[in-house]
Amino acid sequence: MRIITHTCPACGTVVAANELEKNRVMKCPGLGCQEVLRFEHLPEDAREHFLENRDRYQI
Amino acid sequence: MKGVLLSGGTGSRLRPITHTGPKQLVPVANKPVLEYAIEDLKEAGITEIGVILGNKGRDEIQELLGDGSEYGVDITYIVQGNPLGLAHAAGCAKDFVGDDDFVMYLGDNILKSGVIELVKSFEAGDYGAGIALQEVDDPQAFGIADVDNEGNVTELIEKPDEPPTNLALIGMYVFSPAVFDAINDLEPSWRGELEITDAIQDLLEDDYEIDSHVVTGWWKDTGKPEDILEANRLVLEDTKLNTAGVVEDGAETDGRIGLADSSVIEDGAVVRGPVSIAENTTIKSGTYVGPYTSIGANSTLEDIHIENSVVIGDSEITANGRIVDSLLGRNANVESADDLLPEGRRLVVGENSQLKL
Repeated sequence: MRIITHTCPACGTVVAANELEKNRVMKCPGLGCQEVLRFEHLPEDAREHFLENRDRYQI
Repeated sequence: MKGVLLSGGTGSRLRPITHTGPKQLVPVANKPVLEYAIEDLKEAGITEIGVILGNKGRDEIQELLGDGSEYGVDITYIVQGNPLGLAHAAGCAKDFVGDDDFVMYLGDNILKSGVIELVKSFEAGDYGAGIALQEVDDPQAFGIADVDNEGNVTELIEKPDEPPTNLALIGMYVFSPAVFDAINDLEPSWRGELEITDAIQDLLEDDYEIDSHVVTGWWKDTGKPEDILEANRLVLEDTKLNTAGVVEDGAETDGRIGLADSSVIEDGAVVRGPVSIAENTTIKSGTYVGPYTSIGANSTLEDIHIENSVVIGDSEITANGRIVDSLLGRNANVESADDLLPEGRRLVVGENSQLKL
């Protein structure tokens, strides 16, 4: 299963795509980091893959 | 070599303690379980550590570990979110790991012997992965590895009816980056998770050699209250304890006692080690603290008899009674009902609590 992540450009915290997709727009979960992360920050092919296989990233 | 420390999970078997925090921060001998893992990794020369966070306790874990500098390591946080399995957690660490090998360490486990030998054994050959094993009495209840004469793993079997060995996987692994290709090829199991044992099996089928290292010292998964007590007992048995605090004249002490310098054992109290007493805690007259007990910071004990127990901290325990084999959460208070009418116990008990009266 392809595992997609995004790294916060401000603090380096890595966030899984399922977390980004769940929130769509979120404050970086790195403690004290004010960066705003968006699902749209993922590359287009990664977003498409995730959305086509969305059920597999849920539990 | 890097480290990937798994700190997710719901901690459901440790409720109600985990209603207010992650299981990896429950203290054993007055130190959060997670700190033992960080120390083990550092001892093995691993100072770049990715800490995997789930949905619970993210801020608390980051507050404790910070950037890792207090521990002499460099920490990167990796938010897995949904608990999609150990292989998913490892997969989330791919960018962090890069082309390095890495140790994967379950953050709620404590291992007496650390991971030095596991890492050495892996580095002595050209392996796709290395797994830690331990001999168990009931192999039917575990994931079991079959190994050849050289110690190379030949097969992994989950809870076999007819186990070929009694060597159980204990949740400590070393991986080469080849595992990421195996994870990429995985499908979720019947329980919807990406299983790390499936990834290792794929490595085997791709002709990678898998090293095994049999752990001889104790190992504890601290997932349940009784496991915390057992781990506390094992760690107190092995740890050097320093009596830095005040033991008043007239206090009776025996055995090894860890007493923080701001804590006091007062005249008339009895403490029999091994015991660990954290900062700003007072053991008052009439109290008995027995072996294998850890008392957390900012607590007061008076008149109570307590042994083989863990008090996490910020507690007032002043009842005249016996507490044994118990785990008391932060801010839990136990007071006397002797002067109250009508007679009887008065309880404010949270969801999922367990009491034996």
